[in-house]
Amino acid sequence: MKRTSAFRLAIAFSVLCLTACTSTHSSQDAPVQQFFERHGGSGSAHTNNWAVLVCSSRYWFNYRHMANALGMYRTVKRLGIPDSNIILMLADDAACNPRNKFPGCVYANPGRHLDLYGDNIEVDYRGYEVTVENFLRVLTGRMDNSVPRSKRLLTDDRSNIFVYMTGHGGNEFLKFQDNEEISAFDIADAFEQMWQKKRYNEIFFMIDTCQANTMFSKFYSPNILATGSSEIHENSYSHENDHDIGVAVIDKFTHYVLQFMEGINKTSQASMQDLFNTFDPAKLDSHPGVRSDLFHRPLDKTLVTDFFGGVAQVEIIPPAPQDAAAGTEASESQSQTSLAREILDTFIDPSTLTLSWEQLNASSATVSRHHGGADVDYTKLIAAATESQVTPKTSFTSTLRAWVSSLLILVLISWAAVPRDRSSSKH
Amino acid sequence: MDAISKPALAFESPLTRRSIIAAYFLVIFLALPLWWKTTSIERQGLPASRVSAQIGRDLVFPVRIALNTGPHELGMDRIVLDVQRQIEKNGDFEQNGLQLHVSNAATANDYQVTLRLGTWDPVIKGREVVLEILPEHVGIAAMQVADILVTLLMPYTSLWSSQAERIVSYSPRYRLAFTLLNEDATGDNAALSWDVRGALSAQLSPLLARLSVLHNFTIESQVQYHGPLAFEPHALQVAEKTEYGLTPEDLTVFVNSAQWTLSSSVSNDPVLHFIAFIPSSRHSPLRILDSDGSPTPSSAFILPQWGGIVIYNPESTGVAHTLAGRPLDAIFATFRQQLSALLGVPELPPHVQVRSNELAGVTDWQLDALVRRRAAENTASAQETLQSIVRLVAQIEDMPVGEDVKGDVENALAALDQTYSTASSSQFQVLAFASKAQSIASRAFFNPGMLALLYFPAEHKWAVYAPLFASVAAPLLASVIREAIVWRREKKAKAAVAPAADDRGHKAG
Repeated sequence: MKRTSAFRLAIAFSVLCLTACTSTHSSQDAPVQQFFERHGGSGSAHTNNWAVLVCSSRYWFNYRHMANALGMYRTVKRLGIPDSNIILMLADDAACNPRNKFPGCVYANPGRHLDLYGDNIEVDYRGYEVTVENFLRVLTGRMDNSVPRSKRLLTDDRSNIFVYMTGHGGNEFLKFQDNEEISAFDIADAFEQMWQKKRYNEIFFMIDTCQANTMFSKFYSPNILATGSSEIHENSYSHENDHDIGVAVIDKFTHYVLQFMEGINKTSQASMQDLFNTFDPAKLDSHPGVRSDLFHRPLDKTLVTDFFGGVAQVEIIPPAPQDAAAGTEASESQSQTSLAREILDTFIDPSTLTLSWEQLNASSATVSRHHGGADVDYTKLIAAATESQVTPKTSFTSTLRAWVSSLLILVLISWAAVPRDRSSSKH
Repeated sequence: MDAISKPALAFESPLTRRSIIAAYFLVIFLALPLWWKTTSIERQGLPASRVSAQIGRDLVFPVRIALNTGPHELGMDRIVLDVQRQIEKNGDFEQNGLQLHVSNAATANDYQVTLRLGTWDPVIKGREVVLEILPEHVGIAAMQVADILVTLLMPYTSLWSSQAERIVSYSPRYRLAFTLLNEDATGDNAALSWDVRGALSAQLSPLLARLSVLHNFTIESQVQYHGPLAFEPHALQVAEKTEYGLTPEDLTVFVNSAQWTLSSSVSNDPVLHFIAFIPSSRHSPLRILDSDGSPTPSSAFILPQWGGIVIYNPESTGVAHTLAGRPLDAIFATFRQQLSALLGVPELPPHVQVRSNELAGVTDWQLDALVRRRAAENTASAQETLQSIVRLVAQIEDMPVGEDVKGDVENALAALDQTYSTASSSQFQVLAFASKAQSIASRAFFNPGMLALLYFPAEHKWAVYAPLFASVAAPLLASVIREAIVWRREKKAKAAVAPAADDRGHKAG
């Protein structure tokens, strides 16, 4: 009797120790970011856009998460990111669910005005392919050679990436498929690996889940802008039901983001600040968060289309000659004027095509949305990133605590063992 | 006291009891290696010191220049010295990894500069440049030689940022996707096919052959009959005719990626797209407008790192069955120009003339500069990749490092060493080694086995182990302690047997 009570005490005590140990980690913000903040260029230096859209929950009652991801898919596609640059991960196929009264369709509003599934959709990872491992492989690029192009994130140092995640989550985790979870540390580490391999120029991370803001709290790589639907210990709610479909069709946060996006077109000049200004805690029933300390551009100069759109830079090529003969004639006339300058190429000589690159640049400077950020010297930035040590995880203190608590357990065990002997010897 | 008085059963003997307890510990002890093996992560040691020794190691190309003044009155020795001095004064050469040696004795593979009096623009032939100097400029001949060497050997230092931006990152393989895109082939304006083979071999093959030392090209082509624009071009009145214009904003969203299928996705090589766009009769003729809204003579544009687009307005309306001949050649000539711009072939200064005609429009000077640039890029990229592997492995404790990763890192280092050692002999070999180093380093970085295990805070690990093992460990440890106590008491009791008997007898008495 006495022994059992002693054990109960010991276990209760050890549990207490352990819960006390799960205090929050200290902030891991790298000192690097200060360096980047100084380069407050206003334009983005990207030449291609990518999107990774993840719906991590399955089952029919999570219909709204599929609709969230598909709504984002439709928006980025409408704004000009090609399918080849969109990695869409849907953990379940709501469109073909037997309980779907409208087979092949996914709607995000009660009136069912807009079919998000449509007839031109490319789901890259579906069903049980949507795992934490696959998601991290997509981000880090650590893929088997046999993985096809459509499932890869083939980004480079000029890529802006939009990462959208939705599902059921909690404090620093997001659940995948009801059987595993990804932690905020995993995503932060994955982004760091991408940064080290120069796999992005900028990332915009958006997450719609409960306690979403905890998911981006661990990021430490530069050039990441993040937003989430709710604070820690706060739920994110669904927006509305459709009575024919029978389940909630979209989440509040995503609904209002998409509503804002509907007013954006490919050439829109709306900024990220404009988007964040539309966040209204009263409407959302949660407090959306924005994390911009890692991001080095002012938000009101950062266009929504820098992340949601295709890229908008072109260079006009000086006119080509009307036909091949004109080209050779021109070069012949040149050869007459200069000493033995016979140009009798079988093909059109490029020197006759190029009026001059200087002239071209005069025009291209006005045509391309000229980006000041292009002048950032990346090699220097990388060097700075390597020099400054990224603060290691505070694993030492947690190991210490772990050892102390295990020692306590052992002490309790011996205490539990020894008194019983004494009592029995007294009998 | 009953238990003591009863005779002990066979299995209650201390020996049996203790061996049973010992058996538990034996099982635990034997299972330990298995537990250790299944929970530990393979982390091979990486040659971190060799990688960090790569920092700041720059590729230096020795470049020998042979000055040739011919039978002219320019003082030979003096001018060689002057040119060398000018070059040393210009720090750019050193910064860009070039080590110039000027001499007056020519050997094979050297660059030659021939100076003579005259009024013509500089002429390039092979690796030779003929520079004519006005008689009154003889005094500054050395400066002019240095100038032309700067523009020819380091064409990239003067690049605008937008020009540098359009150059695609290096890949040993590219796929070129040519598309003849009819906006609407059911209308009046359309071309149903094109003589793509003829145009490719006439216009592009020489360039591709010339660049084959750098890249391997795969070509695919297609004709599409319905490629609608995602916006409505602006209608404008030009000389009493209705024309249609693309504003700079329109150009940025010209590619309708949602509806145009531009390339197959059969391989992971980077793709460069080239589109010949034929507007429908509703939008013909289609012009490119400048920022003021007036038409420009240009009909082509580049999307940086993506590809090029040519808008082709057929001279006569109507459906052409085959697009061939001069119009197609003009389109492909523009494609060639776009391709060489995207691949980073440097431009010659406008006043420099080219004499030889077998070079596909890319002189040896340009090609060498491109090769040096790509080699330097690849070397830097390989170095950075290796460093980031080492740094990440140190930083992320759960990241496995397999034997193959270690091997790749070592191979990449070896290739880097070879890159440096061959820099003085052959530029093409340098590029080969540098691109090998780069691809092996990338392969090491992207090794699928390197995916870090999911992150578990230490607390999580204890939360998993404690409920499982604490409950097992408690009775086990308790039994050991109890046995130890029993054993000690027995020993004491044995030692005290004789005196105790005496005592008892005494008391009874």
